[in-house]
Formats: sequence, structure tokens, C-alpha cells
Amino acid sequence: MSAANASPITATDSLSQALRANIIPNQEYLLQGSVLDSAVEVLLHRLRGLCDNVDAGPETFDDQEVCFSLRDPNQESAPLMLRVRKALDARDMPYQLRYIGQPDLGDKTRPTVVRSSLDIACSGMLIEFLNELGCRIEFEYSVKGYMFRKGRMKITVAKVFKISQSSMPPEPISQSYLVELSVLAPQGQDAIGEDMRAFADQLRPLVQLDKIDYKRLGHMAVT
Amino acid sequence: MNMQQREEKQLENTLQAVLNRVNDLKSAIQALITKVETEYETINWPTFLDNYAILSGHLTGLSKILQAEVSTSLRSRIVLPLQLGCERDETLVRLTEGRVPACTHDLVPDLLRTKPEPQAEQRLQQFNHKASTLSYDTAQKQVAQFTKVVSHVWEIISKGREDWEGESMRSAGMQPTHSIADTHALVTAVGTGKGLRPGMPPMVGVGVGGGVGVGVGMARGQAPLGPQAPALPKAPSAIKTNIKAANQIHPYQR
Repeated sequence: MSAANASPITATDSLSQALRANIIPNQEYLLQGSVLDSAVEVLLHRLRGLCDNVDAGPETFDDQEVCFSLRDPNQESAPLMLRVRKALDARDMPYQLRYIGQPDLGDKTRPTVVRSSLDIACSGMLIEFLNELGCRIEFEYSVKGYMFRKGRMKITVAKVFKISQSSMPPEPISQSYLVELSVLAPQGQDAIGEDMRAFADQLRPLVQLDKIDYKRLGHMAVT
Repeated sequence: MNMQQREEKQLENTLQAVLNRVNDLKSAIQALITKVETEYETINWPTFLDNYAILSGHLTGLSKILQAEVSTSLRSRIVLPLQLGCERDETLVRLTEGRVPACTHDLVPDLLRTKPEPQAEQRLQQFNHKASTLSYDTAQKQVAQFTKVVSHVWEIISKGREDWEGESMRSAGMQPTHSIADTHALVTAVGTGKGLRPGMPPMVGVGVGGGVGVGVGMARGQAPLGPQAPALPKAPSAIKTNIKAANQIHPYQR
């Protein structure tokens, strides 16, 4: 960066350097569960007691997420899935483009699901850009709820809605809130999984946070 | 002479080992008694039962030593009470920690006894006799009856446990606070779009809606309502069970 450098360091250089140093948090450690609408207040109360960011009341969010797929024209490989998220309650925030890899459940000894995850902030042109690329919209939903932090861990308690016609209120997917406990970390930091397990145990029996493989659950090919 | 010396040494060793075991047993029993006497209000019964396990461990160790080859010499030893007396024997008192002050008539039969008490022996005989005269059918019947009773009790206990665990699992409201089915529905919806894939226009959605719950089939049924529903690359058909088949058919459908 300094003027003394003969050749300026490009973004690619610094990115590959970061990759080599393994400092990019590109792994998501994840546990999922749900809580019934009737019990969500109790859970929020408990989280308020356990988490860090509670001085100014719980942090809320209201996002819309659209999942795009980019298909291989030769049908040889599974389509690439990309997710775009925008905040409905903070319009000036950038869009978030996200790639999520295959969830790896590992064996019983692994405490959480691990999947690769790449996030990047984008401008509003993103949707057009993806359309131009040939991406297609697969599905979309809105998600509204609360976000908590505990150290590196992020806990979201949110209602998932089907996007409905503008005149109608969004329709919830189920009578429960989706609860997710996640950490983004560089590769190989498996110790965080144990911390997450310990935290998840503190939410029991209110919520049962588990490794869930939606591929096996949803009798549906994602391709 | 040499032989005799060796034998004596052996005997000494054996006695020492037995003595150690007996002392262990004694201290374990003492600990148990102390526990019962001092902590009977706050005692934790599982740990109390552990004390019994310790006792039985010591007893097993003791009987092992007695059964071992080394101790055969003990069998050939005879203890012959030569003199009984009512006078206080200080040595004996010291040896028994104040429990036996004198080698008297009422104690010796108990202390030196090698067989069960006559009363117990008699009852045991009675039982043996009763068991041997019992007919096969009656025995079977009784066994069946007993099994029935035991399984009934087992049922009651396990039901009680279920209730209890269920109660402790639930919070004050006694209501379940989460549903696995809902978890699965939500995770699959967010992960794969199950239940979110009606024919739908982009972003500023004119979605379909109206379907109750997450039934994809329902959503699909209404899909044509979506005015600009783009031709989906793959029908999120109501038949979701046969993944492979759908995949294979897929290219030709388009």
C-alpha cells in the first residue's frame, strides 16, 4: 500500500494471500432448531439473559432473501445456488450476496454442521447482474425476527414467511420460529463447535438445536 | 524344621492378608454406620447404595483369599476354646476395641460358630423341602404369576418415569415448546425452497399465496394463477418422493 512499493498490491494478491494465511472466515458452523410461537417469548427472555448485545433491547431484522440458481448448460453438474438478501427495514444497507456449500454433517463426534459460506456486500444492481449472467430465481422468502450475539456466535430467532401478493400479509411457513446458531470461522477451527454445543445445551429443553440435513429431509432434489 | 518354618511363614502371610481385608471391611462398615447416623436427613440414596457396593467388594476379596490355595493350611487349623471366664480381660478388650470385655458363655457360641444359626438352618430346610415337593405345574403357574406382577410394576414405574421426565422436560407452562416437524419444515423451506416455490415473479413479488401450511402440492396446484409465472426449469411437482426418476426425466420435459 505504501508508496515505497514498486508494484501496487492488487486485490487478487491480497485475497490469495489471505487465502494462504487461512484467515478468511469461509466456514459456517451451524445448528438449527425451532420454537413454537407460544414459547418464543420465553426463549427471547432466556437469550436476553445469555447473550452480549442486550443493553439496548433485542436487535431485530426483517430481510427478504431470493435464491438464484445458475445452471450448467450441459446439465453435467448441479446448478450453482446463490442467495441475495436485502434488509427491508434498513433500505440503505447493501444487498448481501451469499454462496452456501453442501452441508457436511460429519460423524457423531462432530458437534455441528459445517458448510462453506461466502458473503459479500453488493449494490442494488446485483439482481440485474445475476439476471444477465443467466441466473434464475428459484424461490424467495422473507424472514423477520431477532438477532443475538454471544462472543463469536450468532443466534437468530426468526419467522419465515412466504412472499405473497402485495395486498395480502405475508404468510408464515409454520407455527414456529426458526432458530439458528451459527459461527463464521476460517477453516479448521473446529473447537468453536464445542462452544456452540455447550450454548445449545443451555437453551434446552426450550429449543433443541441440532445438526439437520435438509437434503435428506426434503423429499426433493435441490437440483 | 525347615518345612515347619516355611509353613509358619505362609500362615502368617495369609493371616496378614485376611486381617487387612477384615480391617478394610470394618472401616467400610463404620463409614456406612456413620453415614446413617449423621446424614440420615440429607443422604443421597444412590451414593448410599454405593457404600453397599464397596462392602460387597471387600467381602468378595475376603472370600477370594480364603478360597485361594495358599489358605489351605487354615482349614487344618482348629480353634479350641479352652477357657471361658466372666472376668474382664484387658487384652481382649483392647484387641476388640472395647466390644468384647470377656470370653463368656453367651458370646462364645456366636463368635466361634462356623455354621448358620439353628433357627436359620431349620427355615432353610423347610424351604428346601417345600421347593422339592412342589409340582411342576404349580411352579410354572407361580412363575407366570410372578412375571405378571413384575411386568405390571415395571409398567407402572416406566409410566411414572415418562410422566416425570416429560414434566421436567417442559417448562412451567407444561407445554411442548418446539416441534420437530416444524423444525424440519422451516429448515427445508429455507434450504431448498420447499413450500416457497409457487410460480412467482421476481423480487417485488406477486406471489401466489393462499395455500395453507407448507404443502408444496397445494402451491403447485395454484401455480397457474401467477400471471407471469416463468416456465420453471423443473416442475416442483407434487410427487416429490421419487427424486431419481424426476432427475432423469427432467431433460426431456423441457
